[in-house]
Amino acid sequence: MKLNLLKLSLAFTIAFSGMLSAQQVSGNVSDETGPLPGATVVVQGTTTGVVADFDGNYSISASAGDVLVFSYVGYTAQEITVGNQNTIDIVLQSSNELEEVLVTGYGSQQQKEITSAVTSISAEEFNQGAINDASQLLQGKVAGLQIYNRGGDPNAGTVIRLRGLSSLGANISPLVVIDGVVGASLNNVDPSDIESYTVLKDASAAAIYGSRGSSGVIIVTTKSGGVGAAQLTYSGQLSSSSILNQIDTMSPQEFIASGGRDLSSQTDWLDEVTRDAFTQIHNVSATGGNGKTNYRVSANLREAEGILLNSGFDQFNTRLNFSTTALDDRLKIDFNTSFTQRDQKNGFKESMRYATLYNPTAPVYAVDAPYAFNGAQFGGYYETLGLFDSYNPVSIIKQNLNNGERRELNYGINLTYDVSDNITAYFRSARQSSDYANRVYFRTTSLWNSSNDYGGADSPVRKGAAEFYENNSEFQLNELYGSWKKSTDDMNLVVTAGYSYQKENYNEAFFALGDFPGDEIDYIDAIEYSQDLLNAGNVIANSGRNPDTEIDAFFARVNLTWNNNFFLNASIRREGSTRLGADNRYGTFPAISMGADLAPILGLSGVQQLKPRISYGVTGNLPGQVGLSQEIRGWSWGGGGSAGGSTNLLRAANPDLKWEEKTELNFGIDLTMDRLSATLDIYEQTSKDFIINRVVDAAVYGFDRRFENAGQLSSNGFELSVNYDVTDNYNTGIVLSSNKVVLDEYVQDSDKFGNLGAPGQNSTWVTRVKVGEQVGQIWGPVWDGSVTNGSQNFKDVNGDGELVVGQNNALDDNVDFDVLGSGIPDLEIGWSNQITIGDYTINAFFRGAFGHSLVNTFRAFYEPRVGSQKSYNYVNTELANPEIKNANFSSLYVEEADFFKLDNLTISRQVNDNMNLSLNVQNAFVITDYTGSDPEPALFDLLDGNPLAPGIDRRNSYYSARSFTLGINYKF
Amino acid sequence: MKTINKIILGIGLIGITYSCTDLEEELLGDLTSDFSLEGISTGGSGGGGDALTGVFNAVRNAGTANHGGYFSVQSVSSDEMAITQKGGDWYDGGIWLEMHRHTFTPANGPVTGTWSQQYGSIAEVNNAISNAGLDANQMAQAKVVRAYLHWRLMDLYGNIVIADGSGSSNQSSRSAVFNWVEGELLSALGMGSSFDLSGLSNSSLGTNDVKYRINQYSALGILAKLYLNAGVYTGTERYSDAAAAAGHIIDNGPYSLSDSGISVPNLGKRPAVSSDPDNLVGYAAIFAPNNENNPEIIWSVEYDEATAGGMNFHHMTLHYASQYTWNFEAQPWNGYVALEEFVNSYEAGDDRRKANFIAGPQLDYGGNALVDLASDSPTPEIVYSIGINELEPNGARTGGYRLGKFAFKQFARPNLDNDYPIVRLGDVHLMHAEATARAAGNWALALPEVNAIRARANVSALSSLTAEQFLAERGREMFQEASRRTDLIRFGKWNDSWWEKTNSDAYRTVFPIPSEQLTANSSLSQNTGY
Repeated sequence: MKLNLLKLSLAFTIAFSGMLSAQQVSGNVSDETGPLPGATVVVQGTTTGVVADFDGNYSISASAGDVLVFSYVGYTAQEITVGNQNTIDIVLQSSNELEEVLVTGYGSQQQKEITSAVTSISAEEFNQGAINDASQLLQGKVAGLQIYNRGGDPNAGTVIRLRGLSSLGANISPLVVIDGVVGASLNNVDPSDIESYTVLKDASAAAIYGSRGSSGVIIVTTKSGGVGAAQLTYSGQLSSSSILNQIDTMSPQEFIASGGRDLSSQTDWLDEVTRDAFTQIHNVSATGGNGKTNYRVSANLREAEGILLNSGFDQFNTRLNFSTTALDDRLKIDFNTSFTQRDQKNGFKESMRYATLYNPTAPVYAVDAPYAFNGAQFGGYYETLGLFDSYNPVSIIKQNLNNGERRELNYGINLTYDVSDNITAYFRSARQSSDYANRVYFRTTSLWNSSNDYGGADSPVRKGAAEFYENNSEFQLNELYGSWKKSTDDMNLVVTAGYSYQKENYNEAFFALGDFPGDEIDYIDAIEYSQDLLNAGNVIANSGRNPDTEIDAFFARVNLTWNNNFFLNASIRREGSTRLGADNRYGTFPAISMGADLAPILGLSGVQQLKPRISYGVTGNLPGQVGLSQEIRGWSWGGGGSAGGSTNLLRAANPDLKWEEKTELNFGIDLTMDRLSATLDIYEQTSKDFIINRVVDAAVYGFDRRFENAGQLSSNGFELSVNYDVTDNYNTGIVLSSNKVVLDEYVQDSDKFGNLGAPGQNSTWVTRVKVGEQVGQIWGPVWDGSVTNGSQNFKDVNGDGELVVGQNNALDDNVDFDVLGSGIPDLEIGWSNQITIGDYTINAFFRGAFGHSLVNTFRAFYEPRVGSQKSYNYVNTELANPEIKNANFSSLYVEEADFFKLDNLTISRQVNDNMNLSLNVQNAFVITDYTGSDPEPALFDLLDGNPLAPGIDRRNSYYSARSFTLGINYKF
Repeated sequence: MKTINKIILGIGLIGITYSCTDLEEELLGDLTSDFSLEGISTGGSGGGGDALTGVFNAVRNAGTANHGGYFSVQSVSSDEMAITQKGGDWYDGGIWLEMHRHTFTPANGPVTGTWSQQYGSIAEVNNAISNAGLDANQMAQAKVVRAYLHWRLMDLYGNIVIADGSGSSNQSSRSAVFNWVEGELLSALGMGSSFDLSGLSNSSLGTNDVKYRINQYSALGILAKLYLNAGVYTGTERYSDAAAAAGHIIDNGPYSLSDSGISVPNLGKRPAVSSDPDNLVGYAAIFAPNNENNPEIIWSVEYDEATAGGMNFHHMTLHYASQYTWNFEAQPWNGYVALEEFVNSYEAGDDRRKANFIAGPQLDYGGNALVDLASDSPTPEIVYSIGINELEPNGARTGGYRLGKFAFKQFARPNLDNDYPIVRLGDVHLMHAEATARAAGNWALALPEVNAIRARANVSALSSLTAEQFLAERGREMFQEASRRTDLIRFGKWNDSWWEKTNSDAYRTVFPIPSEQLTANSSLSQNTGY
């Protein structure tokens, strides 16, 4: 496939390369400091173009009268008309960053005109190394944008959150807009195809996206066609990862000494289920064009292994961006399409969890069992039978399969028509379709499987299980809008208005069955052998389809620039959605912002920009699911042999359900001096009417839950980013952000979330919210440091002489619980450094988060020396207290998880004009006191996604990895 | 400006084209209120499949025989059984320890869930009453079921909301609920405003033996239970009415005690274990997986492993490894255990002792000893001991006999097949005996029926009887039938101490109103003491 694509790009190259020849013009391209290797020189209106060499020298054939265009990223292009000279040397001026054009909602603006909180990050600033997830390019780079990918699972989704929590419902991640397509999927963009990101942080910038803008907007612009002869570029990376941090457990000797049951072997279980994982990435792209017709085509191949055995993925992605003009260049046609095929091995994270806990004296294989053991039944693996929740980790990961396949296809067309000098009309139509299929197979010899609904290898009659899942989502967008520009000497006015329509549908199906005859083949591919087909009710089947979710919106915007230093932007969007209650379908989302550049007004010398600005906007948040306003009923069969059945209520209706609405006020200041640039934003936001599944009067509604708009969150915070050229060869930049979210109103005064779970710690809720207080509290009893009869003694926190520490008293006024930490960091820092020494460039990116804590659930469950657990290993960190023999959640298991890490270190060398080599380390080192595997914040409950239960490091985590990557970039 | 007009026109046109959508959301993958209730509640045979299917499914779905709901709060709070904390397992925030020790709070999960579950089921009954086009007989059945579910709530929580479909959220006093439940039952029995057996001829309810539906006898059984406890509920005793209601069932109903003549094949038998009986006989047959035709059962909730799930006693009580005794599809949870003192109240030869408990060394299907490698004892063989070392924190993993009354079948799936009796003749006899004795103030009057029950269990007749002895006999007979809490309260023993439970305050005879519901319905007030 990769080869075919190469051929395809070569075909493009040939198609678009005209060979004109007249005279040879040569010369040198430089800036004030020296040559600019890689600068492009193009004959305007043709595909003829060359690239300057390592010393900035070029040579191109051109005829007299041709216009040569000299360009280089970050510099203002220059045009020179060829006369009869043979030598043209050119010194390019670095472009003023204030004139840098940022892509914003439905248009673009120069940086200096922006009056809301907007940050743009271009490819040079991206994180380096073997990065497989587009959002990871941005991690730590944008103040206020939290991007966390806990652990090292190459198939895990990344958590993205802007300016903290703005909703309790779904859609707490920013809206993604790719090349103008609202709500597009980041899964279908290869990281190497991204040109830039623009992050719309405040409500005034995001309000043009209306009902989906509340959690911010990330605008992605992909790389587009260049000018000139086809430029073929290859980049490749080879990466090796290994496990970074482990959780300390007992060695076999310690285990036996502490009373554990000795099964006569010594096994390092984690070592048995993990590996050094290799990843290779290959990208090929070709760009070219003649200024009117331009193209870029790319193919990206990724083969990634996870550190857990049998986890990883193979992915192929291709993208074409093509543009041309017609009707005397008044009509510009952009067409783009991308396709991704991803085959993933999801593995079973449970294997890592059981590896942490499994008896370290147990053998891997049945032949090494200390007593007679029927290994054949378990595929030759040893199993400690008759225990709760204890399975041979090697058997789990080696016997079973969990494979997914994802296909994503996007295509779209943009038409831009210049109706007149000052009127432009835009039409956009885009389609996206995604399919995901997952197959899970538990062999008949696997004791473990994921569900109590299946039999395991020990089940006498019902062994093995196969699961099939697939979903499909389709999405279409049609937009028509126009803009009108008016310029006078002291005024610049742009008015944009239009209509947007979007439709999505989604359907999914699941079924599972088991009871296979033996292990001759993997019966996932031959489910007709399942004996569950003979027994009523044993096959599990499920399917769902969402109705067409439609969004209908009109929007308008005004951008006004006065005297080139006063800026005003205002917008409004009126939007309706099917997802809301019948009585509340439409909402209106206004925004206004303004700013003034004081530098020219005050005549400040050495200051290019000093722009205070203020903005206000309203955005919405749609419910994450369909039908929340409607009554939903379940189904019960009538009983043995009966074909009848009945429905029963699962959710009460609420026809009044409406948008969640967020208002936000943002103050900002942008400062640009010669070597220094800085941006500070301070904001306050209020989200009201958030949608939650609320307890209602069971006697009245017939069910005790329905969705209501019930509550309010407010938050405030600041973001600072500073960039400084310390010397010509050393640039450093720092971004800082802090955010506090307070629960203003809620259905009750306080509530608890984050159930620890089995064994033995159900109904043990480790987080709390309370009206008027910050969200993210870890809540529980406080250990006083002493132990009596194996149980921790707790502090009488309120000092009333009565110790109340029952979990069912957690919300009572007299409870002796305390806030044991916050799940959400107080401060997050990203610090970038770029040093250039000769041909070498060193990028060191440090990242840290401070003030957050994590509930170390591995310790809470498995560190107490519980007697009846003596065939499980004990977690044994430096915080372990061997006196404690009784599992009881307390402050002992809540740890501060501040960290500072060298997240990304890259040393690259520009070997010559065409070749760049790099060595990268991700997760080079982490400074933290946290004893778990990964101190990164858990912004929501990883079990159920509840944003009110952050800070719980759940047991099913994938251990994080450190990776080393060799990279090459070669231009042909 | 003409061009601008064109653009605006163009935008308008496209806008209109797409705006044709009315943004109406029609759910395609869910059952909604649009879905006709009558249309789906029909068809089939074998007890289900009529307009009342939803009504009786609602009882099954109300926590009748699974973990965490009605069964659990009725039973774990009594001296029958407990869920011991087994080291790292079953602490669960202390909810089951406080259930057993009567220290439950308004936030207790099972207390909360049981409330919501009953009201959810009542709502389904109301739905059928208003929408299912019930005939007079069906309507009477539905109203009896609704009254029965209200009885559960009133018995558990005291002052509750009467959910009669009017949408009112006002709390009624326990006596008012009693009166309403009584009125509903009397009305279904054709009796008008006061208890009068001669009214039965006007009743829309039938008299045929229909195990999964309500007839006059099951309605009278519920009424007898209500009257037997009337003193607790209202302060006014109704023992004569209780005796009359129960007596009518005994005299007229087509039911007989399941005695030695009643035998069903033992579906749990291991061919390799000769001590496993081939058949379950008499008392044991009432609760067997194949108990659907037992002559003693008046009204039972139908359970089925495939189509009527919700009975999980095997998972709730057995040790993990006991999976291999019965070849269960899935591993049990090692939770519920019978208390030593309770087990010891049975005489050695009592058939019910053998039927109600799983005891002693445990063997797998092939007759080999089961082992537990994490066991505290030096020998890993699993032996269910009658004694339990402690309730918490380190209750032995094999401590306590296990709940075996609803016998398990080989190869059982996660849901069991046994039907769960709500009204059965043995219980009716004991209610009749007790009510008669209490009405006359003479426990000796209960002796004939008590001795009939004892005879069926192969234990010798008593020659005299005290209240305490009667309670013990009722306990032995009704173990695991969610009756013990109510009985202990009626006999004034509920607040006493036993095993690891100390005396509890008098107000604990009703559970607290769940705090969630207090928040959701501001007109509810909390029960005294909480």
